[in-house]
Amino acid sequence: MAHPSQLGFQDAASPVMEELLHFHDHALMIVFLISTLVLYIIVAMVTTKLTNKFILDSQEIEIIWTLLPAIILILIALPSLRILYLMDEINDPHLTIKAMGHRWYWSYEYTDYEDLGFDSYMIPTQDLAPGQFRLLETDHRMVVPVESPIRILISAEDVLHSWAVPSLGVKMDAVPGRLNQTAFIASRPGVFYGQCSEICGANHSFMPIVVEAVPLEHFENWSSLMLEDA
Amino acid sequence: MESRRKSLDNTPCAREAILHGAGGSVAAGLLYFLATSRVKRSFDVGFAGFMVTTLGSWFYCRMNNAKLRVQQRLIQEGIKNKVAYEGTVMDPTKKGKAEAPSGPS
Repeated sequence: MAHPSQLGFQDAASPVMEELLHFHDHALMIVFLISTLVLYIIVAMVTTKLTNKFILDSQEIEIIWTLLPAIILILIALPSLRILYLMDEINDPHLTIKAMGHRWYWSYEYTDYEDLGFDSYMIPTQDLAPGQFRLLETDHRMVVPVESPIRILISAEDVLHSWAVPSLGVKMDAVPGRLNQTAFIASRPGVFYGQCSEICGANHSFMPIVVEAVPLEHFENWSSLMLEDA
Repeated sequence: MESRRKSLDNTPCAREAILHGAGGSVAAGLLYFLATSRVKRSFDVGFAGFMVTTLGSWFYCRMNNAKLRVQQRLIQEGIKNKVAYEGTVMDPTKKGKAEAPSGPS
C-alpha cells in the first residue's frame, strides 16, 4: 500500500506493473533531461550579451530542433506501444471473478465452479483492529491464487465506479449495463489495496478494494470455507 | 525530501546515470576551458557533456538491466517447470533418457 508522503508508485505486484514502472522511469528521465536543457537555454538567453537583429534563418538549427524531438518521441513511443500491446495480450485465465460496484461497496462473484459471492464493505475507522489501515480495510477480501492469470469482469449496479489496484497495475471503469474485462497475474503473495476511482456519490472515498494473493492450496481452503459459511 | 531521495535510490540506474553525468560534465567543461580559456562556452560544453553522459549511461545501464530481467524470468520459469514436472514425461532434464527404450527383462 502507499505510505505517507509517497511520491512514486507502489511496488509492483504483477509483471505488467513492473513493465509500467520501468517505462515510467525511462520516460521521466527523458523528461527531466529536456526540462534541464530548457532551463539552461533560458538562463543562457537571459544572460547573453550577444544580439543580432538581422538573422533571417538558420538551416542547421532548424534541422536539429526538428530531428531531435522526433528521435526523442520515437524513443518514448516504442516502449509505450510495446507495453500497450503487452497489456492486451490474450492469456488463458485460470479463474474468472466478477466485481460489481454498488453504492458504496464492491461485491465479488466466483462462479467458475460453485456459486460463491460476497460483499466487501469498508471497515469503519472506529472498528479497526490495531495495525489495520484506515479507509483501506474491508470485511471480506477478494482472494486470488498467486502466479495464476485472473480475469476480472467489472460492472456496476447503479452509477459509475472504477475498480483499481495500483500495485497490480489494474484500473477499469465499472459502468452500469456494460461488462468490462481486465486481467492480471499476482506475481507474489500479499495484500494489495485500491480505492474506487470514479466519483459515485457521498461515500466514493469509502469503498476500498482489497486483493489478497495466496498460494493455491490456501485459496482452495478459503473458497471451501466461504461456501460453507454462505 | 527523504521520500524523493528514496525514489531516486529505488530507481535502477538513476543514481549511476546522474553521477556519471556530473563527472562527464565537469571533465568536458574543464578540458574545454583549459584548451580555450572561454568561460561561457566551457559551461555550454560542460552542460552538453552532462546531457550526453547521462543519457548514454542511462540507456546502457537500462539495456543491461532489461537483459538481466529477461534472464531472471527465464530462470524463474525454468525452476517452476522443473519443480512442477519433475519425474513426469514433461521433465526437461529427462528428455534424452525418456525416449530410450528399456532392454529385455
